[in-house]
Amino acid sequence: MDILTQLIGGFAVALQPINLFWAFIGCALGTAVGVLPGIGPALTIALLLPVTAQVNPASAFIMFAGILYGALYGGSTTSILLNTPGESGSVMTALEGNRMARKGRGAAALATAAIGSFVAGTVGTLALTFLAPAIAELAFVFGPEDYFALMVLSFTSVAVVMGRSLVRGFAALFFGLALGTIGIDTQTGQTRMVFGMLELLDGVSFTVVLVSLFAIGETLYVASRHASAPAAINPLSGGHWMTRQDWARSWKPWLRGSVIGFPIGALPAGGTEIPTFLSYALERRLSKHPEEFGQGAIEGVAGPEAANNAAAAGILVPLLTLGLPSTATAAVLLAAFQNYGLQPGPMLFATNPDLLWGLIASLYTGNLILLILNLPLVGIWVRLLLIPRHYIYGGIVVFALVGVWGLSTSWMDLALMCGLGLIGYVARVYDFPIAPVLIGLILGPQAEIQLRRALAVSQDDWSVLVGTPISASLLAIAALVLIVPPLLAYRRRQAALGKERAAAAG
Amino acid sequence: MPIAEEAPPRERRSKPWWLGLALAVMGALWLNGARGIASTTNYIGLGPAAIVLAVGLGLVVLGVLLILQALRGDFRAVDDEAEAPPSRAAFLLALAGVAIPLLTMRWLGFPLTAMLAFALVTHGFGSRRTALDLAIGFVLGTIAWFGFSRLGISLGGFLPLLG
Repeated sequence: MDILTQLIGGFAVALQPINLFWAFIGCALGTAVGVLPGIGPALTIALLLPVTAQVNPASAFIMFAGILYGALYGGSTTSILLNTPGESGSVMTALEGNRMARKGRGAAALATAAIGSFVAGTVGTLALTFLAPAIAELAFVFGPEDYFALMVLSFTSVAVVMGRSLVRGFAALFFGLALGTIGIDTQTGQTRMVFGMLELLDGVSFTVVLVSLFAIGETLYVASRHASAPAAINPLSGGHWMTRQDWARSWKPWLRGSVIGFPIGALPAGGTEIPTFLSYALERRLSKHPEEFGQGAIEGVAGPEAANNAAAAGILVPLLTLGLPSTATAAVLLAAFQNYGLQPGPMLFATNPDLLWGLIASLYTGNLILLILNLPLVGIWVRLLLIPRHYIYGGIVVFALVGVWGLSTSWMDLALMCGLGLIGYVARVYDFPIAPVLIGLILGPQAEIQLRRALAVSQDDWSVLVGTPISASLLAIAALVLIVPPLLAYRRRQAALGKERAAAAG
Repeated sequence: MPIAEEAPPRERRSKPWWLGLALAVMGALWLNGARGIASTTNYIGLGPAAIVLAVGLGLVVLGVLLILQALRGDFRAVDDEAEAPPSRAAFLLALAGVAIPLLTMRWLGFPLTAMLAFALVTHGFGSRRTALDLAIGFVLGTIAWFGFSRLGISLGGFLPLLG
């Protein structure tokens, strides 16, 4: 009952005309960046972070939530019509969706994607509504050692899950942790790793790192690799809308996708990609028409699209309740909270209920706005792709300049943008994941504070780190995350080698 | 274990050992930096140097591991097998667009800098309509300057040279 009254209070915030306006802006922007290549929700929110200086927190977060969800809607559109997934979470949608579009069933694919996103987004938001306060209550019992263990788990799982190689994942993580140590130590006031430069005393700005690694790195990469490639602008025409049979085949994948997506999104390194793979595999197995998979099966669009939207809601659970970001986008949202001097976590539900419940309520309205924006107007969004590529990337660089220069009009930030942009380019070429850098940068200093706090309380007794059941089990899981995948890979290699030997001998 | 004979010899196959080296050097920098941080000998807990030391150690170890992986050929550029080699000219033009603000931002202000950066990047992407690109870049920069100024975000003077 309590949750319902809180939620109604949230709707009172979200339905204010000014907040509806921001939600609309966020949804439109999100859909646009979802359609356009090279820009994602994380980058868009990072570029808009300076706006937080002027807009009140509830409105800003309502806009950011619209961007988060909108990018997923927009990403599915390009996957289906052009076979170019705008976001990593839409890769699976392209498989079946583009086949459907080629058979003249594009409109049906778009409809099942949009409605599936709406259903899953709503289911995920419902789960968030009722779960988040409970988890936040739980977090009240967390001591510093528990928080430290939670962050260690977050570090290892991000480094393991995001990268295709353990070493590269951890290299990215430690790079981020190293950047996080630059500046004044908050506990003793000592300067660390500033190399005699006054501008670095405040540390390296999260926005600069994110914008440089993503936007500049991507621009340099695409320029060097695909500058001459012609823009593939040949959107397929729509065709017929969903038939009764399409509805019958879609609703179960929508719900199953939601059920898969939400919990995985809520894990410390869930993200939106893995649920889409799982959902696709599941639908393929359960389908009554397995022969259609690979030829344009509607289940293969409905399931993964639902899964990635539900996962987006799931990502908000650890972020809002524990202050724990699990994806690049969540890390930016955490940075936005910090810009307002707010720390997401259990206290926030008590101190800023209007903000949090307004944000949650706006997820419901945002989904509805997105459904309206995307179903009838899909043709307009696809037009965005008619903008020549060199203008898109030129524009990305100009807005990256706005984001970086607008922070504090500091020349050092511009120099950092250049240097980190080059590093982002190298990371792109050699397949280093970016998300661990961001998580390391934003969580590293917090993990250090918790560790030092725990050790100070225990009088330098390191056993305190496994002193509570929560911290001990979290650290154990972190160790398992680290050890199990290489072990499995090793066993598989041994098995393969054994077979080879047997074949060679026989 | 990957067996060397399995991989066909490839002309352009890169061995990016320098990447691991760069990481290890960064780690060494951090290790050295940790020495310079005066340890306020608190009677309890960790000092401010401890985490810097740990991060430096981690970077050195990961750097060495990366070097070993690179020399074994376990990892290389993602598009080593791509048909077209990367275009250095396009890359340098785009990089110039990113670097030009370092020179001009404080003298020419945001709109003109945005104009130059925009034109350089679009040329990196193969556009050759210089006048049009400059015009679009200037308009974009000016709109951004006015728009964000109204939101209360300072992007510096419009044209600092004029004061």
